[in-house]
Amino acid sequence: MTPPSSAPLDLSGCDREPIRTPGSIQPHGFLLTLSQEGKVLQASANLAHWIGVEAQAACGRPLAEVIGAAAEGLSQDLPGDKLGNRPLYLCTAAINERHFDVLGHVWDGLVLLEFEAALRAEPLDYRHLYPLLGDFLLKVNEKQSVESLAELAAHHVRMVSGFGRVMVYQFDRDGHGHVMAESKEDGYHSYMGQRFPASDIPSQARDLYALSRIRLIQDANYVPAPLVPPQNPVTGQRNDLSFAALRSVSPVHLQYMRNMGTLASMSVSLMVKGKLWGLISCHNETPCPLPFEKRTACEQLGQVLALCIESREDASELQFRLEVRRMMVAMLGNLTKGADVIDNMSGIFPELLRFARAGGVAIVAGDRVLTYGDTPDAAAIEDLVAWLELQGHGSEIYHTDALSQDYPGAAALRRNASGLLAMPISRLHKHYLLWFRPEVVHTIEWAGNPHEKEASGTASGSASDMASIPAPLTPRTSFATWREVIHGVSLPWHVAEIELTGEFRSALLGIALERAEQMAELAEELGRANKELEAFSYSVSHDLRAPLRHIVGFSDLLLESAGSEDTTMRQRFLTNIKESARLAGKLVDDLLSFSQMGRAALRPVEVDMSKLVASCIDKLAIEIGQRNVEWDIAPLPRITADPTFVHLAVQNLLSNAIKFSGQRDPAQIRIWSEQDAQETVFHIADNGAGFNMDYVHKLFGVFQRLHRMEDFQGTGIGLANVRRIVERHGGRAWADSVQGQGATFSFSIPRKLAL
Amino acid sequence: MLKPILLVEDNPNDLELTLVALARSQLANEVVVVRDGAEALDYLLRRGEFAERSEGNPAVTLLDLKLPKVDGLEVLATIRKTASLKSMPVVMLTSSKEEQDLIRSYELGVNAYVVKPVDFKEFVRAIADLGIFWAVLNEPPPGSFRYIPPN
Repeated sequence: MTPPSSAPLDLSGCDREPIRTPGSIQPHGFLLTLSQEGKVLQASANLAHWIGVEAQAACGRPLAEVIGAAAEGLSQDLPGDKLGNRPLYLCTAAINERHFDVLGHVWDGLVLLEFEAALRAEPLDYRHLYPLLGDFLLKVNEKQSVESLAELAAHHVRMVSGFGRVMVYQFDRDGHGHVMAESKEDGYHSYMGQRFPASDIPSQARDLYALSRIRLIQDANYVPAPLVPPQNPVTGQRNDLSFAALRSVSPVHLQYMRNMGTLASMSVSLMVKGKLWGLISCHNETPCPLPFEKRTACEQLGQVLALCIESREDASELQFRLEVRRMMVAMLGNLTKGADVIDNMSGIFPELLRFARAGGVAIVAGDRVLTYGDTPDAAAIEDLVAWLELQGHGSEIYHTDALSQDYPGAAALRRNASGLLAMPISRLHKHYLLWFRPEVVHTIEWAGNPHEKEASGTASGSASDMASIPAPLTPRTSFATWREVIHGVSLPWHVAEIELTGEFRSALLGIALERAEQMAELAEELGRANKELEAFSYSVSHDLRAPLRHIVGFSDLLLESAGSEDTTMRQRFLTNIKESARLAGKLVDDLLSFSQMGRAALRPVEVDMSKLVASCIDKLAIEIGQRNVEWDIAPLPRITADPTFVHLAVQNLLSNAIKFSGQRDPAQIRIWSEQDAQETVFHIADNGAGFNMDYVHKLFGVFQRLHRMEDFQGTGIGLANVRRIVERHGGRAWADSVQGQGATFSFSIPRKLAL
Repeated sequence: MLKPILLVEDNPNDLELTLVALARSQLANEVVVVRDGAEALDYLLRRGEFAERSEGNPAVTLLDLKLPKVDGLEVLATIRKTASLKSMPVVMLTSSKEEQDLIRSYELGVNAYVVKPVDFKEFVRAIADLGIFWAVLNEPPPGSFRYIPPN
């Protein structure tokens, strides 16, 4: 075979090259496409070379007329409903005294029959495939690391294929290939540990690697044999030869192989979790045929290797995730202990560092910057956070292992902050948790400089094309080791670390939110306490001053009237003094009980409300005196509450009811309750004076009275006490009235106390 | 023709002591007593049980700060918002020395703020002074109460 012309190749079109529909095949065999009825529709142009029939002449004729008796051996497998979409070895056929391994598959509505020239007359023998795989499988179990598995696979593939150099490549996330294992004959250049740039394999070639798991190029100097006619007669398009073993490959790739000094190559795709993880890449300096059964063995070995890698990766991934999650749970446990989440977080700095395998960690809470480990200084961290905010990273996790590529100010931070994992911890504030990873300066050995694609000397196309089309390129010619020192890059963040940081963030926001709610509750409680305190001091200055003034006033009047004979007047002055003194005393008592109510802890137990009401009524005997009171008390449930407090509340309400129904004979007081899943509601209704609903909002305020002193005695603290007691149980208190007809006071106690 | 003094006081003891003090100041003015804020507004706005009273505003309203239903500050606010009442002198008469009450009262446009002295003699003097100043010396704005003595 003659070497191909040295015409320049346009690499700018690499990504668009129709590698699935090259329109030609490699010439170490021939290809026929058949209709479902077995009539030849297309033939490769090299048909005459192999069997002496011109391609053009073959078209339109039944298979048997083209390949003669060999067709009989195939007849049982044709038409195509016995064939699948992947080539199947059908037989080894003799045509014109040559031997061919026949592969068949169905694609695009055609049966594709490939006849690979074979040097033997016997059919393929799969028997030595199994010992090979068995040996590999046996050894696979002994090997632990992915690298050692890859090395084992490389060795076995070389043994089976006879290729001079077998490498196992892994693609990194940028698509660069890294040679992780190699097995080679003496005299072959070693690529072990080197990297091949992503640009060596265009994206559509990667797609094809994923589809079709094995590809053999037997001789890089081959002259392709075009299909005749060039179009698939069923579709009218060029044939999709994705799965054809003889498919012709890109001339760019062939040039690449020649540049590399490799005239035969085979690639086996390693698919891990549905993605192209890497390749087993085989090279030979000289052309190297490889029969189908050996290729199949290599393909299966590749599949076993991929499965092993998958399970190893799964196991180590799982192990890693478990470890990171265990750390996260432990941290969260510690974070919920104190009052301030931010403070708590600084208490677990060492754990935070380990969690993300970081060199330094910083908490930014508004203007506060707390650091631990090796971090940039506070000012640099503040600038960095300002930048994060500007980039809109305030609501999501940001991560990079090369901060200086994103952040202009990072050059100075390279040493300890080449890697950054930033977690916003508040939806409202500029709060961040930042993990820093130091620069890992390392050297990459490229198989050739990946940053240069050598331009060819000759430009194709006219000068006007040059403006819009990038300079034509040739495949690279140098595979000499090219060392690159990488700066400004840290160890990459593990997917699990990033994901679990997300979980950690949700949990933290949960804690923070809960904390915020608690704070809001506390603030509300504090506000109420403050108000009560104000009312307290107010009444000390106001309400308590009044009876004192009255005592003084009436005492003076009493003294002045010493000579008077008006005993009724003097008696009244005396009564006033006594009443004022009594009121002052009661006021002090009430104030004390009210202030105690705010401090004392609730001690909830099960309370039988029927018994509690009965005991309150007993205590009201003195207030009731000779009055005629009709009680209508429904059966009351048991509730969970502080019995002392609830007793006080009920006592107050009953005392009110008695007080305000003082004008009625009989006074009627009704007590009943309602219960649902959430709460128990108690109602106490009287048929007394009632109150004007316009003022109901003042009713439960401290020291508020809706009636004149002499009409209804009281310090105006009873209902405030009731409300306070009920609210401390998590319930509500309210009242209804029709003035002149009576009032109903109600309160609720939750079924489940949230204390 | 003397204008009455409107006394708004809910506490019976305070009422009695205030009336004693006013009597001792020997003012000739009638003292109209109402017992809470709502009643005071009814009187001033001539509604409810006071719908039939004759026109005109009192010479002065002595207003207790802490009252049932509608408190003194609310009454004061309504007085200052009502065109026919807004220039009427109002004196806050209270037990409260709380600064907030004082500030709030002046913000609402009170004419004077008097803390009821605990000592009875001082109390009597304070009420007398108040009565003399506001009911006798002070020239009330036009449209004040035209007092027609009951027959």
